[in-house]
Amino acid sequence: MPTELGRFEAIVLPHLDAAYTLARYLTGSEADAQDVVQDAYLRALRYFGGFRGAEPGDGRAWLLAIVRNTAFTSRRRQRAEANAAEFDEQLHSDSVADEHPEAALLATTARESLHQVLDHLPLEFREVIILRELDGLSYKEIGEVTGVPVGTVMSRLSRARRRLQRALVAEQKGG
Amino acid sequence: MTHGEMQLQVDTYVDGELAPEDARELEAHLQECGECAELRHSRIALGAAIRREVPVLQAPRALRLAVREAIRSAGESRQPPRSLHPLGWRPALLAASLALVALGGWRLGLQRAADGALRDQVLASHVRSLMPGHLTDVVSSDQHTVKPWFNGKLDFSPPVYDFAGWGYPLLGGRLDYLDGRPVAALVYGRRQHFINVFLWPGRGGTAGERTTITRQGYHLLRWTTPDYQYWVASDLGMAELTEFARLLRQDDSVTARPLP
Repeated sequence: MPTELGRFEAIVLPHLDAAYTLARYLTGSEADAQDVVQDAYLRALRYFGGFRGAEPGDGRAWLLAIVRNTAFTSRRRQRAEANAAEFDEQLHSDSVADEHPEAALLATTARESLHQVLDHLPLEFREVIILRELDGLSYKEIGEVTGVPVGTVMSRLSRARRRLQRALVAEQKGG
Repeated sequence: MTHGEMQLQVDTYVDGELAPEDARELEAHLQECGECAELRHSRIALGAAIRREVPVLQAPRALRLAVREAIRSAGESRQPPRSLHPLGWRPALLAASLALVALGGWRLGLQRAADGALRDQVLASHVRSLMPGHLTDVVSSDQHTVKPWFNGKLDFSPPVYDFAGWGYPLLGGRLDYLDGRPVAALVYGRRQHFINVFLWPGRGGTAGERTTITRQGYHLLRWTTPDYQYWVASDLGMAELTEFARLLRQDDSVTARPLP
């Protein structure tokens, strides 16, 4: 007879690496990522009673949502302290660059690696790339994790990929 | 359809999220439109490049231990009679204990289940320590460097000896976590083999006999002294490992005392 914690161990614990990976790429710091994941697991333990999943695969998106929210909360706290601007879908959209890829290429100062470009993407773009490419979540799951409609997931993914694609092309040309 | 919409469709198609009828339509379009076919190709290459350059990371050991500890303490607070269910939240072990209860070996059964769990922990810890970068926290062949390194990290001061003279040089030490508590792990070498010695203060009592276990190609030795519980794990041959254990027991019996 599986106990509640046995179920937690089987369903949520196996996603520790995925949780750490997401936190690491969202926070950009190993120390912050560890804090976020530890905090997220404590929250997950608290909320687990209300979670209905039974298979190990079920816990992935559920845990990643908690990790993501924990990372955003700690970031908001840090940003409030730094008094920085909030994310703005319009402000951060790359409409000019989209229309003129060459201009964007020139605007990119040094040749950035794919990794660097990803690090510099707004969080809302970065997270969909990680959740899709590294965690293999479906659009629906990504929508649940990030709290936006599937249509927004699609457009953010597409925009993020356009930027990354330019970096990749530049990498391949420049070597 | 605008170019932007088409681009979105290609992304959705590559992600396998396009509805079947739309996918068929797009596939027909890809046959004719070189630009979209090129886009599809470059998106596939991009996905591969991302997974190559932005790898899935492995959670650091310290984090892994901290998370496990959080789960463990949550289990304790939910299950007060800890002495009866030391690992009650592990379903398989609980089932095993219950089966043994049914056989009548009640106390013995719980003890065995706990021993089995500990043995698995020791083995897992040994295997994990062999992964790159996990073997030692303090690298030194000097027992007078390794022993003080544990100060402030453990609530006891583990006896540390070097057996380089016998061909078992001390390589370093590491903090580990076994049986629900931080323990000292001492690492020794023998040719290309590594030996992990785990020790922590025992529950008192008399010196216990040494027992040997072989699992997955590794040998495990365990014994208790009046002061400490010892577990030794290695892929070294049993004869050499037994000799090593004898050296360790000899020296420990002479000098070791835990902190009061």
